[in-house]
Amino acid sequence: MRKTFAVIRREFVERVRTRWFWIGTILGPLLMVGLIGFQILLAGRRAGDRNVAVVDASTTAFGRQLTTQLGASIARFHFTRVATAPGVPDSLLADSLLGEVEAKRLDGFLLVGDSTLEFGTAEYRGSNVSSVADMEQLEGSLRRLVFAARLERRGIDTLVVQQAEIRIRLATHKVSGRKLTGESGVQSFMTGFGMAILLFIAILLYGVNVMSSVLEEKTTKIVEVLISSLRPFELMLGKVIGAGAVGIVQLTVWIVSAKLLSGIRTAGGLGGGFQFPQIPTMTLVIFVLYFLLGYFLYAAIYAAVGAISSTEAEARQAQVPVQLLLMIPYVSFFGILNDPNGSLAVWMTLIPFWSPIAVPVRWGASPIPVIEMVASLAILLVTVVIVTWVAARVYRVGILMTGKRPNIKELVRWVRAA
Amino acid sequence: MSEAIVAVDRITKRFSGHTAVDGLSLTVPPGVIYGLLGPNGAGKTTTIRMIMNIIVPDEGSVRLFGTAGTGRDYSARIGFLPEERGLYPKMRVLDVLMFLAETKGVERRVARVKATDWLERLGLADWRLRKVSELSKGMQQKVQFISTVLHEPDLVILDEPFSGLDPVNSQVLRDTVVDWRRRGKTILLSTHIMEHAEKLCDHLTIIARGKKLVDGPLSTVKQQHGGKHVTVVFDDGGGGSAAAAVLADRKLVAKTDDYGQYAELELASGADHQEILRRLVGAGVRLNKFELVEPTLNKIFIDLVGPEAAHAAAVPQVEGVARA
Repeated sequence: MRKTFAVIRREFVERVRTRWFWIGTILGPLLMVGLIGFQILLAGRRAGDRNVAVVDASTTAFGRQLTTQLGASIARFHFTRVATAPGVPDSLLADSLLGEVEAKRLDGFLLVGDSTLEFGTAEYRGSNVSSVADMEQLEGSLRRLVFAARLERRGIDTLVVQQAEIRIRLATHKVSGRKLTGESGVQSFMTGFGMAILLFIAILLYGVNVMSSVLEEKTTKIVEVLISSLRPFELMLGKVIGAGAVGIVQLTVWIVSAKLLSGIRTAGGLGGGFQFPQIPTMTLVIFVLYFLLGYFLYAAIYAAVGAISSTEAEARQAQVPVQLLLMIPYVSFFGILNDPNGSLAVWMTLIPFWSPIAVPVRWGASPIPVIEMVASLAILLVTVVIVTWVAARVYRVGILMTGKRPNIKELVRWVRAA
Repeated sequence: MSEAIVAVDRITKRFSGHTAVDGLSLTVPPGVIYGLLGPNGAGKTTTIRMIMNIIVPDEGSVRLFGTAGTGRDYSARIGFLPEERGLYPKMRVLDVLMFLAETKGVERRVARVKATDWLERLGLADWRLRKVSELSKGMQQKVQFISTVLHEPDLVILDEPFSGLDPVNSQVLRDTVVDWRRRGKTILLSTHIMEHAEKLCDHLTIIARGKKLVDGPLSTVKQQHGGKHVTVVFDDGGGGSAAAAVLADRKLVAKTDDYGQYAELELASGADHQEILRRLVGAGVRLNKFELVEPTLNKIFIDLVGPEAAHAAAVPQVEGVARA
């Protein structure tokens, strides 16, 4: 045990001494500051004015009326009606308008016609189509105005329509254990999103650290001396724990600084936009628990990957499947949040290679039934033990191998060998 | 009393396709410098790795210090220098030494003191806080030797210790090894350079293709396998036909290397060198010198493994583990 501790200490101290540790540790909070600053900047800046031409191909007064109403409905948009003239082909008109857009005298143009009123179709071409806010406002206003026009056509009074219109604001609150958590939907989402990113990066980063540490001992040949006094398993365990301890320290720095930053932000009274979510203790416990188990699972795999490789390049290539495996829950976090109790979320909770990211994300969105939680932890724990056992056997043979990387058949033989 | 420090009993190790070590036995008595000799690919490194329990023999057993304990159990009493040397390039010299001592069970505090002592003794004191990668190759080798003996082991195992050493460091190492023996330590070293072995080793084993060819104390090996050799230097003009007739007698001379002015003779078994001298003088051959010489270990080695060595060199080395 004392020997293993020597390995842990070396792994920890040497990592903490590197420039990258300090850059990573400080960069995390700096990125958060940057993100918040950026959000404040965005929230503080008024979106710019837009000049939009309305190409009216309607045969009624609808187009003219719509142009006026649009102008009244979105203050920062300036609409100018352009009527299609009989005899002038539409393509020619479109061409000249595109020229205007290119010259930045126009931001875009909206094509409306009789079909807009009949079937609700319209087209917008412009340089600002990627602005979600612009497009949402434009579409929303169009929807309301066309809806009103259609009602009026059926003889319903404009005044009645105006009075019937009401803007709905849906307030979302997460419920957990029959209680309101005080967390809004957006906050739940942010918590889930933040945890998914953090877990993915952390597990990957520290896992790869274990891999390169194994590889370093292999390429420098020092492993032979180590193996003559330590059991391979002791060496591997020491590495995994040592690199993991670095991870815990770094994560702690990040989480604490996030907490502090959110405190400063609230105190500064900068409301609106991006809010740093309050993280309940239980969420934090689950986060740390799953990080640790997930880290052990992947670190063992990464140790084996390092052991079967002979060069950095080879190792980078060999770890791609592992990375992809970890990416699956990361990219599915949207699906999990959309339906936290759906079958995708449940499966992700149970599959041990995915649960380390999926469960904290799911927990952030909705409470998880106790039975699923227990099953998830049990399966993950058993898998960690099995994978570590298999990885240790691959590691034991691999660290003394040079040359060609073994294929699956050879790996199976290594694992079976007594 | 003189229980074997290392007792290897019929160990065999096979790697996919070939047998690296084949039923090899050897016994290292305490307090000697023991040479494990063989051509490249003979199985020296594999044997040492099995002694250290880095790899497990397929058959046979290894006993250390008279018990069934493995190299790892005795890591505090064994200093091991593998053939392929390496240190952590990014670590500080002192930290590496302390860490490696810790893995052998030395307390950190003690390790620091001893490492500092050693570095001072080998003139590396100023480098102790530098990174290993900043050291020259020779310095790194010194650090490596320190790490091998820092914990004051009773048994020192050196795999090809002279490879890559310049003549000065080579001499330093030879002196050190002799000094260790004087202090009662047992040294097991492998080499394929016979000059080193001849000067250093008390005991030796020569192996080729995983099998033992000969073993025993150096003097015994020389007696039993060297045969008797005589160098003859002729007076001006060479031995002529009279000498040739004497040397052609296969009852007396087994083999002749005639260089004209002088010849090296290997005596036939049971032959008396005085008889040759008498016959040569009797035949009227004029001699400047007639000397009975001891064969060099190198000659014994080449005689024993010559054809094997040629074969081994032709076998491509497939896997690192499979190397001798």
